[in-house]
Amino acid sequence: MGKTDRITERQLSVLIFVSLLSPMIRVLPTAAVLFAGRAAWLSPVAALAAGALFLAYTRWTRKNAPEDMGLADMALAGMGPVVGRIFNILCALWLTFYGGFLARAAAERLLATVYPNGNTPVFVVITLAVAVLAGSGLTKTLSRTAEVLMPILVGVIAVVLLSAIPEVTSENLLPVTYRDTREILYGALPIFNVITACVYFLFLTGHTRRPVSQRPNRFPWLVLLALTAFGVTFFTLGTLGENLAASMENAFFMVIRNIKVFGVVERVEAVVVAIWIVTDFIFLAAVLMIVSEIWRTVTGIKKRSFFVFPTAALSGTAAFLIAGNAFEFQKWSDLIVPAINLFFAVILIPGAMTLGKLRRRY
Amino acid sequence: MKKYLCLILALIPLLSLSGCAGLSIFSNYRQLENIELVRAVSLDLSDGGVNAAIYGTAGEESPARMYENPGPSVGVALGELILTPLGREAILSHTESVLIGQDLAKTGLRECLDYVERFSETRLDTDILIVRDGSARDLLAGLSGDETSSADVLSGLGKNISRLGEGYFFTCREIASSLAENGCALIQCVRGVKEEKLFDARGELDLESAGFAVARDGVVTDFLSDEETLGAMLLLGKYRSGNLDLPLGDQTVTVSMDLVGTDIAPRFDRDGALTALDITFDFRANVINLSGPVEITDSSVRRTCEEELTKIMTGAATAAVEKSRALGTDFLDLEGAVERRAPIKFRDMGADWQDVFLTLPVRIKGTSVLARTYDIADPPELSGKEDKSPWEKLTELLKDS
Repeated sequence: MGKTDRITERQLSVLIFVSLLSPMIRVLPTAAVLFAGRAAWLSPVAALAAGALFLAYTRWTRKNAPEDMGLADMALAGMGPVVGRIFNILCALWLTFYGGFLARAAAERLLATVYPNGNTPVFVVITLAVAVLAGSGLTKTLSRTAEVLMPILVGVIAVVLLSAIPEVTSENLLPVTYRDTREILYGALPIFNVITACVYFLFLTGHTRRPVSQRPNRFPWLVLLALTAFGVTFFTLGTLGENLAASMENAFFMVIRNIKVFGVVERVEAVVVAIWIVTDFIFLAAVLMIVSEIWRTVTGIKKRSFFVFPTAALSGTAAFLIAGNAFEFQKWSDLIVPAINLFFAVILIPGAMTLGKLRRRY
Repeated sequence: MKKYLCLILALIPLLSLSGCAGLSIFSNYRQLENIELVRAVSLDLSDGGVNAAIYGTAGEESPARMYENPGPSVGVALGELILTPLGREAILSHTESVLIGQDLAKTGLRECLDYVERFSETRLDTDILIVRDGSARDLLAGLSGDETSSADVLSGLGKNISRLGEGYFFTCREIASSLAENGCALIQCVRGVKEEKLFDARGELDLESAGFAVARDGVVTDFLSDEETLGAMLLLGKYRSGNLDLPLGDQTVTVSMDLVGTDIAPRFDRDGALTALDITFDFRANVINLSGPVEITDSSVRRTCEEELTKIMTGAATAAVEKSRALGTDFLDLEGAVERRAPIKFRDMGADWQDVFLTLPVRIKGTSVLARTYDIADPPELSGKEDKSPWEKLTELLKDS
């Protein structure tokens, strides 16, 4: 690992937070409402608990890992060069596809909300082009960018959500009783699914300073992410009601389109669209960075940026081939991609880390 | 080399700035003089489709204009209107009201709501109004004068009727949400009335509230009277304050009042069956006008006024409940009120709400307090009658208390 491309644990946490804002805003509140109905606004609390356990477990498995060891190196050390390589290649292929999915999702969302007569390939290509530029650079540059943008993103989301308070009605949020617990837990699943994507960033931990045991906990960032999920779900559900929110693809955006900031400024959706475009770019760039990091470890070629463009080209191909229209893409978005993500993020990667831990390889 | 490349890439986004309009890659950019800012839209049933009209302005200095276009559907009629015949592009992003003709509302309300919900420019918080006794287009045209804007008149009425407790402008979001949750919704109706023009620059028509319309399964099915509308506002929590004339013998006491509190209490028996619904209102009123010599400081007179006020308001609520039952449509969302008050018992009830609702005893009660009379207590004797002596006044006061 190059000594020049080092980031702090805080910077990595911010990078994860900013990246995960993108899918969080995309899937919420519709996914949670479909499962939990009116009680969906409590699902982020359950997701926070599950996410905290998940973070604690992944931290425990890496507790004794040396300072410059990323997940790809851990897999090689923990499972041996052959199985470890297969694991790494599987992860790289999945994340390449996932990158294509993210690019397509970003394009579909822009088309649905702002450019109804736009052209999907144009948006996919532009998104990937920007991501290639950012992904080819240093990890610390991308992390620092996320760090600089984070207060702006959180600030804008906070102002937007607070401005939506007058539209919220208790009739849309209550009653919720203990009997809704099962639905609340179901509703937490899509939120937890987004949170688990943080495990992919462990491939970048080789860039962080200090060994795991001396690093600060990521829990505060998880709380901030859950708080954002709560805000998005609470205000959207409270404004639109259960059924109307569930019937919309971008319910949060519909709420934003209506709000008046301090009763003076209208139509602030452009600012929010800018925010989610930024988070899309950063997440996609981070994914390209992660995939190239894996290939660098697998092949031994030191120049990581060498892999970024081919990965982006493959992601772009996946983005075009994944679905013929928005309806088909919705199926991928609702079912297939979350299922594969859960398999990789909750079963395969933690499983590989546990194996290495049990074999005392780190 | 890399620095120059970065610099060029950083400069590319400048093309999207408004100053580079001729070269802009930003497809949504439009010059101000090429924009028609639409403030109100009317939709009417026409032969074989929909007649759409837009009412807008090209800027503060520009006079308001109206354009209309028929089409087989709302989307086509408005779509053509927005893009082609104006010489400038109409923008619906700041549309305040959509007026729907009564005939179209009875057949195609769903289509109108769908357009507002789906179109990327329109907002869910656009007011949806049903126009009674005439076309929406004619109302929009009739309200407009040289110095009056239809959109301003509509917006003014919305504020006034809300303050006076005579109606409520439901937005597309509220209507769509209510239809999605309960299968029914209420929509404010308006009507154009021809009155003597107070000044030449105003429009030919004046605007008045015409109660609520009841929408069910995406179409308007019925209309509420003024009394039922008042009752519906009370039960839906849309009533905050209003003025009311209370008959007192041959005199009238006008009060301004506030709804202080509403309590909707479901009663269940031991088997968990819903047996009754008790609804209680608390009103507080202040005297703002007396038509003649009424001794309003007299406690018995005040009590009579309070009873009259309670009777009118509970009567309105009862009328709304009866209408709701008669239509078999829970547009007052009593189901939601019961569920919020007793969620566990409601879920355990088992019975279908529609069956329960149609036969459920609903007991509506109210309490009213006449709180103050502002600076004048009893009206002065304008006929010159001698006033009572201080001793007589003190005796009466003691007797009163």
